[in-house]
Amino acid sequence: MSKIIEIKKLRKVYGDGVELVALDDVDLTIEEGEVLSIVGPSGSGKSTLLNMIGLLDTPSNGEIWLKGQNISKASSKERARLRNKELGFIFQYHHLLPEFSAVENVMMPLLIAGVEKKEARHRAITLLEEVGLGDQLNNKPNQLSGGQNQRVAVARALAGHPSIVIGDEPTGNLDSKSSDMIYELLRKLNREMNQTFILVTHDMDMAEKTDRILRLVDGKIVCEMLRDGDKFVTRDLCKLDK
Amino acid sequence: MFELTVAERHILGNPKMALFTVLSVALAVGVIVVLIGLTEGYKVNLIENTVENSPHVTVEPKEEEDYIYLYRTLTSIVDVYPEVLTASPRLIGRAAAKYKDNVEGVTFIGADPVQEDLLLRVREDIVWGDYYDLRFKRYAAVVGSDLADDLELKPGDDFRLTRQYVTIQVKAVGIIETGTGLDQTLVYLPLETAQDLLGEGDVVSEVGIRLSDIYAAPAIASDLNNKTRYNAESWQDKSRDILEQLDTQQIYSYIFYLLIFIISGFGIANTMIMIITRRTKEIGILMAMGADQAAIMKIFVLESLILGPPSVLLGGGLAYVAGKLIGNIEVPAEIYIANRMTVVLNLETFLFVSVFALLVNFLAGIYPAYKASRLDPVEAIATE
Ligand SMILES: Nc1ncnc2c1ncn2[C@@H]1O[C@H](COP(=O)(O)OP(=O)(O)O)[C@@H](O)[C@H]1O
Ligand SMILES: [Mg+2]
Repeated sequence: MSKIIEIKKLRKVYGDGVELVALDDVDLTIEEGEVLSIVGPSGSGKSTLLNMIGLLDTPSNGEIWLKGQNISKASSKERARLRNKELGFIFQYHHLLPEFSAVENVMMPLLIAGVEKKEARHRAITLLEEVGLGDQLNNKPNQLSGGQNQRVAVARALAGHPSIVIGDEPTGNLDSKSSDMIYELLRKLNREMNQTFILVTHDMDMAEKTDRILRLVDGKIVCEMLRDGDKFVTRDLCKLDK
Repeated sequence: MFELTVAERHILGNPKMALFTVLSVALAVGVIVVLIGLTEGYKVNLIENTVENSPHVTVEPKEEEDYIYLYRTLTSIVDVYPEVLTASPRLIGRAAAKYKDNVEGVTFIGADPVQEDLLLRVREDIVWGDYYDLRFKRYAAVVGSDLADDLELKPGDDFRLTRQYVTIQVKAVGIIETGTGLDQTLVYLPLETAQDLLGEGDVVSEVGIRLSDIYAAPAIASDLNNKTRYNAESWQDKSRDILEQLDTQQIYSYIFYLLIFIISGFGIANTMIMIITRRTKEIGILMAMGADQAAIMKIFVLESLILGPPSVLLGGGLAYVAGKLIGNIEVPAEIYIANRMTVVLNLETFLFVSVFALLVNFLAGIYPAYKASRLDPVEAIATE
């Protein structure tokens, strides 16, 4: 396994008057093909960290290396290109474009990348079939259920063959049955394509299915647990029951 | 070009907004095209009016002289030009008309009826009687319709014309209605009768010339000025002042049109800002998917560009309909120069206004599009 992401002394400070340290010198290395979960209380900096890795936000200090490239100081155009090529996002709410059908939503990252319409459509249909929505291709988001929309969002996140898929509470808005379905889907894709998944979640059951759990409190990683067969090995002293 | 696809979908997804933008530009284009058309129409009417109702070239006395004495010689010089249809010696003056107890100031024109009719198509405006009667009846007159009313003069009545110490009695053998202010003062007389009234002998005050080609007037006038010592003036010279005045007014009109465009530009910019505010979240999502700033900007600039052509076409349609409607409204000739306003709708005006409108439309879309492209993706996605 090789390092896909290396984070060094990452710091994010908000506010100009009263400063709020959202991330406090975080160091983290993520391996290719890993399924990582990040847990922690609300306001602990999980989304902030994810947005940094996802190139949506820029650090106040520290560095992020993606596949050996220092992306902390990349231009806005380069960041957009990397988001398109290397990253797939799944949000808590599906965040599909309301005027576009399921298949068109999934095609969008490919069209942005400049892929031919026909080819993009073919890929989108394949993905939607894989997430079990082969019969809902032309439905718009308002014609689909919450779980179905989230599956479209998963398909969209995967459309451009990203090396990293990040999900900020991707099942946070779904019932447990749909949640399980989404997770199983992600896991299956991970096995098939060796993609790296970074998931922020409140759901400990789901976290415990991943390869590694990070616990964030007040912008610091306070605990790291690694899977060892069916059990987790704790690296530091920490409690998982929030 | 996913930007075009997104732009199209945005427009179709929000037809009300699109319609608002289209209408705002269309109205601006329509109003301006009609206003320019009205001004052009006024000019056309003015020229037509001038060309129809006054001589194309007027030859006036030499300097230091009040009248033309050798007008027959002058006429024979004038008749040589091939473009000359007629040269009518005319004696114009002021007098008082009396009928019963009514007195009105009048302008009389003494001329040979045949030549005068060739010059100004007098007989077309005769509403009663016959202008040609003046050829045979020495003490006859054709009277302006409003003047006849003011004098309470009925067709066939005798009335008196007085100028200084001379008074003559004439019979109203015709009533003329030109549809202009002249109807209140005009009296046509045979040339000899007018000369009697003036008491200066066999003289005229001018020779009016009608041409087959109205644009030959300046050349003929200047040629006459070179050849004779009389003062020849073309209709273009006579209406120069008013045309120049119109052009000066035109400058103010253009400032006004510019204001209309600025207002419409702000309307468009405002609509675009509203559209972008509504779509902030989607912009963030597109950014997360890898759309860069240039792409976001392109989407919204395209949105306003797509709406441009239908807007100006609709504006052209509105202008056409409005022009036809305005052209059908009757207006009193006293306040305008004809009974109908003319709206000149030509393609050049429309194209000129359209290009300008498209430019305004484009510029108005740029700033909001720029703002959209600079949104922070995290904040944009978090927007509700
Ligand atoms: N744009 C922002 N401006 C100011 N403070 C922010 C902003 N975004 C997040 N924060 C603050 O940073 C901290 C971490 O937030 P976040 O990463 O969203 O936490 P989590 O996702 O773990 O709930 C919180 O205290 C939050 O209020
Ligand atoms: Mg969060």
